[in-house]
Order: sequence, then C-alpha cells, then structure tokens
Amino acid sequence: MIAIGRELASRSGGPVRVALFGEKVRALADALAGHGVEVLLAEDPALAEYTPDAYGQAAQSIVESTRPRLILVAHTSQGYDLAPALAGTMDLPLVTNCLALRFDGERIMATRRLLNEKVQAEVEIASSRPIVATVRPGAAKAAGPAPGGIITSTTVRIDGSKVRTRFLSIERPQVQDIDIAGADIIVSAGRGIQKKENLPLIEEFAKALGGVVGASRPLTDMDWLPKTRQVGQSGKTVRPKLYVACGISGAMQHVAGMKDASLIIAINTDPSAPIFEVAHVGIVADVLKLLPATLKELKS
Amino acid sequence: MPLNIVVCLKQIPNPDLQFQIAPDGKDIKREALNYKLNGADEYALEEAVRLKEKSGGRVIALTAGPKRTEQMLREALAKGADEVTRIAFDEPAAYDVGKVARLLAAAIRTLPHDLVLTGVQSDDLVNSATGGLIAGILGLAHASVVTRVESKAGGLEVACELEGGLQRVYSMALPAVLTIQFGANTPRYAPLPAIMKAARQPIKELSPAALGLASWDAVSLPYTFGVRGLSPPAAKGHAEMITGTVEEQAKTLAQLLREKGFARR
Ligand SMILES: Cc1cc2nc3c(=O)[nH]c(=O)nc-3n(C[C@H](O)[C@H](O)[C@H](O)COP(=O)(O)OP(=O)(O)OC[C@H]3O[C@@H](n4cnc5c(N)ncnc54)[C@H](O)[C@@H]3O)c2cc1C
Ligand SMILES: Nc1ncnc2c1ncn2[C@@H]1O[C@H](COP(=O)(O)O)[C@@H](O)[C@H]1O
Repeated sequence: MIAIGRELASRSGGPVRVALFGEKVRALADALAGHGVEVLLAEDPALAEYTPDAYGQAAQSIVESTRPRLILVAHTSQGYDLAPALAGTMDLPLVTNCLALRFDGERIMATRRLLNEKVQAEVEIASSRPIVATVRPGAAKAAGPAPGGIITSTTVRIDGSKVRTRFLSIERPQVQDIDIAGADIIVSAGRGIQKKENLPLIEEFAKALGGVVGASRPLTDMDWLPKTRQVGQSGKTVRPKLYVACGISGAMQHVAGMKDASLIIAINTDPSAPIFEVAHVGIVADVLKLLPATLKELKS
Repeated sequence: MPLNIVVCLKQIPNPDLQFQIAPDGKDIKREALNYKLNGADEYALEEAVRLKEKSGGRVIALTAGPKRTEQMLREALAKGADEVTRIAFDEPAAYDVGKVARLLAAAIRTLPHDLVLTGVQSDDLVNSATGGLIAGILGLAHASVVTRVESKAGGLEVACELEGGLQRVYSMALPAVLTIQFGANTPRYAPLPAIMKAARQPIKELSPAALGLASWDAVSLPYTFGVRGLSPPAAKGHAEMITGTVEEQAKTLAQLLREKGFARR
C-alpha cells in the first residue's frame, strides 16, 4: 500500500501519510517511517486490540484532521470491516478490492476483477470528498526503504461510550493433523471433484507422488476434509515444490496461499478459470478422468 | 430475547459460467445467464433462521434487484424467512455498491431491525462492502466475516475470521449489522411443502416513492460513478498448456512428473 500511495502521490504532488493505530507500536512506526513516509502514530489504550468502533473513530478523526484525497485500506478481513463502515459513517465514496488505482484528472480510476476473476472492470469515481479505496494484497510490489520518513505523534478522539463492540479473545485452531505447510508436494482438491466419494482418488494420486492432500475452502466448510488442510487466506500458506490444483477455480483467497509454490499444475474443465493465470502447467480436462489415466501411466 | 432480523440476499449470475462482454463494453451479456442466490448469502439466511428459531422473532429477507429475484425470495420463504421484500431496482448490473447499499439502508429504516445480516461478499462483484456501508449509514454496530453468532443477554457474542485460521471474538450491542462468512453453518434444504406454500406467499415491493425518492436516479450520492469498460483480463499468466485427448494429456503429465523427479519409484 505504501508503494501504491507513493506512486500516486508522485503523480498528484501531495504527501503520503501512513496512519498507525495501536498501543506500544513505536517499533512498527519506525519500520514504516523507513519507507520514506510520514507516519501519523496514534497510540491509545482503546486501540490495543482492533474493534470496529474504536478503530472507526480513530480513522474518522485522522480523515477529518488531514482531509486526504484518497484513503487506502488493505482488502483483508479487517479492511473489509473498517473501510466500508468509515465510508458509510462519513458519507464518502468507496471502491473496494482494487488491483490498481490511478488519477485521471479529477477522477480516480480503479481496476477490479469480477465474476471469479473472469472479467476485468475499469470504474471511475469523481468527488470533492475523500475517496475510500481498498486494495487487494499483492496488488503492487512492496515498497523498498527510502529516506525522509518521520513519525508524528497524533491524538485521536475516541469516545469510549460509543464503543459498542468489545474485544474478548483471539481463538487459534486446535485440531491435530499433519501440517501441510511443511510438505514438499501437495495435491489439492476443489469443488470441481464434485463429490466426497472422489476424495480417495485425490489421496491415491497424492500418495503416488509422495505428497499430501490439501483443499480449497468449500471442501473444508463442508467437512469433507479437516480445516487444517485448507490452503489460502483464511487457511494455510504453503510453498511446496509441487502443487497440483484439482478442480480449483483460483479465487484470490485461494491463490494467496499457494502462489509461491515452485511448480503449479492446474487441472480444470474451464479454460477461462483464473487458476491458469498462476499455474505453470495447465490442463483443461475432467480431473476425475485425468487422474485415473495419469495413475495408470505412472504405474506402467 | 426475540429478534427482528433483516437478511440481505443478492441474486447473482452463476459464476461457473463463461462470460462475454456486451457490445457497449459496460456490462456482460446477460441474455443466456442463469442466476442463483449468492454463496455467502445462503449462510446468512440460514444463520438468520436459526437465530429466530432459538430466540424467537421474525426474519425478513430483503433484496434490491429486478423481477427475476422473486424466485430467490420464494426460495428464502421456503427456507424459513417470514416475509420478503424486493426493492424494485431494475438495473441488472448495479455496479455501484454505494448506491445499492444506500437503497438497502433506506429500506431497512422502514423495517423493524435488531439485527441485519449480509453475506461476506457477492461472488459477482466481490466488493465485501455492502454490510459495512449499511452499518455506517444507519449508525449501527457491526462486525465482519462472522463465523459464529450467539445471542447473549442484551447483545451478541460473535467470532470473526482473520487471516491464517485465527478468529477474533467480540461481545457487541444490538442493533447491529453482521457480514456472515461461508461455512458459518450448514444451510438447509427447503422441504417440499414449504416450497409449495412459498409459491403463494406475497412479495412486498418497494418503489422509489416508498423510499422517499422521485426515481432511482434521485438517490443522493457524494460522488459520481461510472463503468469505463469491461474486458477479459489480460492473461498475465504463462501456463504451458497440455493438450490432446485425456490419454495423451495423462501421458504427458506422467512424463513431466517423472522428469521433475516427483513420481515415486
Ligand atoms: C474472507 C474469505 C476468505 C476465504 N478464504 C479462503 C481460503 O483460505 N482458501 C480458499 O480456498 N478459499 C477461500 N475463500 C473462498 C474463495 O473465495 C472461493 O470461494 C474458493 O476458493 C472456491 O473454491 P473452489 O475453487 O474449490 O470452488 P469453485 O470456485 O466452485 O471452483 C470449482 C472449479 O472446478 C472446476 N471443475 C468443475 N468440475 C470439474 C471437473 N470435473 N474437473 C476439473 N475441474 C472441474 C470448475 O470449472 C471451477 O473452476 C475465502 C473467501 C472469503 C470471502
Ligand atoms: N442488490 C442487493 N440486494 C440485497 N443484498 C445485497 C445486494 N448487493 C449486495 N448485497 C448483500 O451484501 C453482501 C456483500 O455484497 P458485496 O458488498 O457486493 O460484496 C451480499 O452477500 C449480500 O448479502
């Protein structure tokens, strides 16, 4: 996001400021300032843990005091919570899940992906008010270090009586299972395998390669496999030597967890499936036919 | 405590299809599409019905969309919604999430609502924005990517999904907006008698006037929005494709796996 902010600012001529909320986060502020930006550091006990109301108030306070043209927020679980509510509360324009953003005169142009990544859209927003935009993680190469960064301590107004959401705890997954993140070879199944009864085929294929079975989220949601096997944003991030995606469309949340595998082989009946964008080797085929045929070949 | 629940449901083109761009470049070709209830909204509807079954109250399913969405609303009735309302907003694509959220918020104002549920994202536009916008516009408490909801004295306890399998647990006050995540529950199938009954139940329709507007273009927005153009994504990928019959593909794949040292033996 700093990279995108710096790039946009270099064209529009204004400054890039990074708002950092929390408690005792000075070290993080130092690290951010190392990227050559002004860090607005707002530390407050009410910001020790994220809550929608406290962070929302902090964000509103910063927007009011700095009146930026553009407010960038990461399109992550926390970003989807903060950005739209901020836009709704302050009556600001909003565009989310952007792959790219640019200024075009008075307008902001955003590039987005629709319909399982199969369609790209360019949308434009013009407003005299600050525009809120969320950007997809990985939309730009991370910014390198740069000189000139500073930290400005900032106070934000947080009215505790208006904080309606109270943080209770963080829960971590407890299930005992193999750790797919340590595996060299992963064969992952997606909704394209159609039925739970087809899982043994995936297992047999994984075994023939000396690998383990992973999955896309719908399979773990349906309890076909334990949650520990889920690859992606809300599951495991894996970097195996070989990743075989069987009947997986390639939604961004899945790709986030496997795009750095050394060799990605994707099998899908739909030639327009976005998984073929990240795969090194693609096969347009019915996985339920291709895997048995390949097993036969491997055995002969 | 009985809860008045509004659940926002969106009808989307089946995303497994292949899509073509319309000649004007501003939308996809819609003639031959089939539509379905958005994936995450199935979980939001189920969550609403379960909360009602546990605590009492009513579930109103709300959509903003053309006539074709009536089929989806009947499905919601068959699965346990008590009432359904359609904002007769006929724009087929409705790319501006800010406008849709303002319409939904205006309609929700006219309905009893202790709790508003939406899905975490629509699989056609993937904004993940509607729920948060509604909360902001109506000044309601909110939480996103919710996987668990329990009704507690005077409020709720909710678990929200973060990255990497972590969950953040909050207690929160009502009224509130929650965006419900895939997998939060196991959606039910509609029983046949309920489907038959739903076919005869009324669908409430909201015109612009019902929301205090002269027309759908009269929604007051702090910005102007436009679709500049749609296109097939530039294939940045470089997947080397293995072609041929299944047997040929299998042979090539097996050979590749052997060459790279992945096949055992
Ligand atoms: C906040 C959030 C977090 C998420 N986190 C994750 C995550 O961590 N991991 C994750 O995976 N998803 C995650 N998702 C869900 C994600 O958006 C997608 O819905 C999911 O990845 C789709 O899984 P899929 O590819 O198996 O199913 P689909 O998208 O339904 O794709 C099935 C594919 O199989 C193909 N197919 C059908 N039949 C066959 C056949 N016979 N042979 C070959 N191919 C076939 C189809 O063409 C299609 O491309 C998350 C979503 C949200 C909103
Ligand atoms: N036109 C609509 N009618 C009713 N609900 C909608 C509509 N558009 C979006 N929603 C709700 O908002 C959620 C998130 O959608 P989005 O913000 O587009 O990703 C969906 O899962 C629906 O619950």
